[in-house]
Amino acid sequence: MQDLRPVYLRGPNVYLRALVEADKERGAAWLDATLPVNAGRAGAVLEEEHQGQRRRSARRLAIALTKDGEVVGGARVSSHDAFRTCRLAFEMAPWRDDADALRAEALGLLVHWLRDGAELMVVTVELPADQPLTSAGAEALGMVLGARLREWYGRPVGRVDCLVYQALNPRWEVRDA
Amino acid sequence: MRSPIMAGERLYLRPMEAGDAELMARLDAAETDTFMWRWRVPTSPLQHEHFIAEGYKQQPPRHIWFSVCLREDDRFIGNVGVVDIDWVHRSGETVSWIGPAEVRGRGYGTEAKHLLLEYCFDRIHLHVLMSEVDEPNTRSAAALAKQGYRPAGRRRWTDVKDGRYVDSLLFDLTRAEWLAARDDWRAGRAAAAARR
Repeated sequence: MQDLRPVYLRGPNVYLRALVEADKERGAAWLDATLPVNAGRAGAVLEEEHQGQRRRSARRLAIALTKDGEVVGGARVSSHDAFRTCRLAFEMAPWRDDADALRAEALGLLVHWLRDGAELMVVTVELPADQPLTSAGAEALGMVLGARLREWYGRPVGRVDCLVYQALNPRWEVRDA
Repeated sequence: MRSPIMAGERLYLRPMEAGDAELMARLDAAETDTFMWRWRVPTSPLQHEHFIAEGYKQQPPRHIWFSVCLREDDRFIGNVGVVDIDWVHRSGETVSWIGPAEVRGRGYGTEAKHLLLEYCFDRIHLHVLMSEVDEPNTRSAAALAKQGYRPAGRRRWTDVKDGRYVDSLLFDLTRAEWLAARDDWRAGRAAAAARR
């Protein structure tokens, strides 16, 4: 698995990599933490999502710990190449107390890769408002809070807004001015 | 009425049927407005057939689409739907499209949308909805405001118009707000009927 760690998606605490068949054993970490997903279903999703991968506009990456490779989340990157834009979505392992911090670090790696490396115009992510470290990370990356959808997520203590952040590529911004 | 799921004064919403594919392709071909789309594209009944069939495979569905029909003659005039439904968090995005140019401007879009909202909030018990329109599409933005939606912000650079990138505008609507908007809308309809 060490060989699959892209040099451009490595951080101090986490790295992102392509999913492999063995990841089906930990579907709750990267696929769905709310509704139960067994290894059979996770394996079917892996199979399905990798068919015709070159033509697909969405890909899912594993978020793993740098220290031991444990998969602690997943990131879905949906791109719209005709518009040079993409959207990010995260799923984090529900048993991690540090999920917010790990997601924040993964977001930083992804935004640098997509905005600065791949030169996409816009990278968008929607975050629950009760994830302060990820929101702070987004703002530190220069992402702009463009919209707030009220009461979007259910929580045991009430409902939480959805924050829509966007990283606008400054190289495109100059051209548009 | 054929299999109405929601029925209003002049319209009803029914499940999309395979036979709608041909009608949907014809409406696409007859589209006169340009401001809603980056470009208009000729569509085949085959692709609509596939879309309709796919829509009924997943249970519970991620997207729910309806055909909008006139009560008086069952004529199909467009589609409304709620997409990207999150069954855990009780949220979704509403979309609507009322087709032939000759039926626009008669309040059918508003009536269809009210039926859809009633379905979303009272039948499947969603808590909150959002909707997104391209900024140049002022007609849809005004319609959303009339239906009770509130501005939630914008997504930058989502489309191109006249050689420039344009934004899309986001709106949201909670169930409590919809109840108030629905009462206002019903009162307005009753007052209009009394005047006639």
